[in-house]
Amino acid sequence: MPTQDQDHQSKSTHFGYQTVEKNEKESKVASVFHSVAAQYDVMNDLMSFGIHRLWKRYTIDASGVRPGNKVLDLAGGTGDLTAKFSQLVGRDGKVILADINSSMLNVGRDKLRDKGLVQNIEYVQANAQYLPFEDNTFDIVTIAFGLRNVTDKDMALRSIFRVLKPGGRLLVLEFSKPEHEFVNKAYDFYSFNILPKMGELVAKDGDSYQYLAESIRMHPDQETLKTMMDTAGFEQTSYKNLTGGVVALHKGYKF
Amino acid sequence: MHQQLLCSGLEQLVNKALALNLQGKQGLDRLEQKTLSLHLQEIGFALSFTVSAQHVLINTLTEHPDCTINTSVKTLLLLKKEQQLTELIKQDKLDISGDIKVAQTFAHIAETLDIDWQSELAKHIGDIATYKLIQTGKSVGNKLKFAVQQIQADASEWLVHEKKLVVTSSQISHFNQQVSDLEKQAQLLADRAECLLHKKISLNDSAIKDSCE
Repeated sequence: MPTQDQDHQSKSTHFGYQTVEKNEKESKVASVFHSVAAQYDVMNDLMSFGIHRLWKRYTIDASGVRPGNKVLDLAGGTGDLTAKFSQLVGRDGKVILADINSSMLNVGRDKLRDKGLVQNIEYVQANAQYLPFEDNTFDIVTIAFGLRNVTDKDMALRSIFRVLKPGGRLLVLEFSKPEHEFVNKAYDFYSFNILPKMGELVAKDGDSYQYLAESIRMHPDQETLKTMMDTAGFEQTSYKNLTGGVVALHKGYKF
Repeated sequence: MHQQLLCSGLEQLVNKALALNLQGKQGLDRLEQKTLSLHLQEIGFALSFTVSAQHVLINTLTEHPDCTINTSVKTLLLLKKEQQLTELIKQDKLDISGDIKVAQTFAHIAETLDIDWQSELAKHIGDIATYKLIQTGKSVGNKLKFAVQQIQADASEWLVHEKKLVVTSSQISHFNQQVSDLEKQAQLLADRAECLLHKKISLNDSAIKDSCE
């Protein structure tokens, strides 16, 4: 019989460094992203010194995308990956930009339409844990800087596994654990001292960027995430550290 | 990630050049959704050029390109004309597999690229400033060219006549002439020596015959 403590643990999760009820996290994360949506791209460029564009390019290159492919860009936010995938899959392919947050989805939709990318993109507001798609639908699923905000990551990975076609692949681009202690220290200083101040200055919301820094530290490290993907059923799972492990790209196949 | 950095820079450069091309984006229609994969010996990874909606995307994806080219940067620079494509293939400097039309169309676009740099510059800094800048540029260029020629002339003068470290072409041809004269004399001497040797052998043979008789 589960003890009261075990029962509490199963119902609770992390929201940054705070422990909150599982049903509370979703709304808290939602409020963070409603708040930062408008300034999301500017802040990304500012916080990463533009390197996030190279991380995303690396993800595209690692995806092996081909014309005619069906791609799900999960937690796609402002649509950076969707824009590239849309051009590469062509008229015969399709890209679904999915995000749980309506504000992020709206910003992404406006941005892509302004770029003239309308032909093969669909927008879906969806929770990664309960993907509203049929089994074996997608050739590629990507989730970039989104998995750490998901309440139940194992459930989300199982849900992604379900919607992937046999032979399909998942790419998870996410902040991770730096390989060297020196980088780790510098990164910690930057994340907890400079980042929230930048958020306060530019997005007028230091708390959201404090959450961002905390959520990165609470996210599973490279090996743990790889094991989680294995457990969800993915095969040939691997990861590649980028920028000294500040970010890692995990890849796994469904056979 | 240096590969992605290179692709990103190249992509911006190529698309900017195409946007400024006086011939417009002719030919890109025929390449819609076509991919050319370029393997350059010097960089060690493939660059893939995909055309989508009049835009060239550059990445390192190598799966199922329409055409693959294996070559070197040096050969690629020679590839200014379409007809050179066939010549370079014959010389084994270029290895192409897949739809050769894709490579030819890309080469044709590169060949017909025509950008009016003066007009483009004038849009940003104005006509007069552009004119002045171009004139100054030409003048500086001519002066630099003259200075380089002068330095080369002075340097060769110093090396040949003052330091005597280098010989002139007339000295080399004089030396070559002397060598060939010597070669001829040596040949004549060798012929003469051979002739004398034959004579000596024949004299010896007749002396032996006389003594026997």
